[in-house]
Amino acid sequence: MRDVARDPAALELLRVQRNRLADRMRPPWWYLPGAAIAWAVAFTGPFSLRYLPRVDYWAIGGVQLALWCLLQWGLTRATGIKVGPRPLRVLRDGLFYHRPGRPALIAILVVSLTAGEIEFLLIRHGLIAAAIVAMALAVAVQVTLQQAWLGEIRQDLRSGGGAA
Amino acid sequence: MTDGVTAKPDPLIHPITRLSICGLLAAGADWVEFAALRDAAGISDSVLSKQSVVLEDAGYVHVRKGAVGRRPRTWFRLTAEGRQALEGHLAWLAQLQETVSASTEGARPASTTEGARPARPLLGDREQPTRVPPPLLGRA
Repeated sequence: MRDVARDPAALELLRVQRNRLADRMRPPWWYLPGAAIAWAVAFTGPFSLRYLPRVDYWAIGGVQLALWCLLQWGLTRATGIKVGPRPLRVLRDGLFYHRPGRPALIAILVVSLTAGEIEFLLIRHGLIAAAIVAMALAVAVQVTLQQAWLGEIRQDLRSGGGAA
Repeated sequence: MTDGVTAKPDPLIHPITRLSICGLLAAGADWVEFAALRDAAGISDSVLSKQSVVLEDAGYVHVRKGAVGRRPRTWFRLTAEGRQALEGHLAWLAQLQETVSASTEGARPASTTEGARPARPLLGDREQPTRVPPPLLGRA
């Protein structure tokens, strides 16, 4: 086996290999449409509560969770890379570091809550068309943010996740 | 990189194949599947199997075996011990590289230094055996 200490290109080689690994983390064609459906299900919550009183909000949440699990399972199978739920910050060497993807994750949470509240308000005031437009916009924004989140994970894989 | 990390060589991850495996597993993913790791490292199935067993026995890598339908799937993950050893080793390598580049730049003219050589082929290109096509039948 070759001696790495005699190869000045060892670290460069590791960077090339990490780039190859990061390139595998590209979502398959069905991932983003699937994510759009999952977000659409989530944002139909206010409509369902208003017009379908028998539908439980937890049932909608359950359907969305099941869709997410299915999407993540498919993504892991397709790419061969499992990236679990990521904390917003990690403790390393006694200091907290922000994880890559933190801005996108925070934006996803903020958009979810804001869009839900806006939909509730618009439906309460009888502005159904505006509520539907708000829902469509929220789905588009969430899918874009999710793409950004995956991009940041790829960047994390390229940079070595803080290991080098 | 070197903040809070003791730069020291680790003989177990010193060979370049094991360094590649550990380096890729440390790159931010929770678990990496056998084929993804093999393709990214540019090594063969047998080399990955052999080296992963060594790393697993040392407690550097956690191996999980499962199946999707009838197809077996193997997943790898770097342990905390493995991450610590890798970080120390990479810090040592970076120090070594700096020392080597500083000494060669001072000793030789720019055209003959180590760093001025053309780009070397990748690990996978170098370590894979070259396939020689058999001679065609009927020809001399």
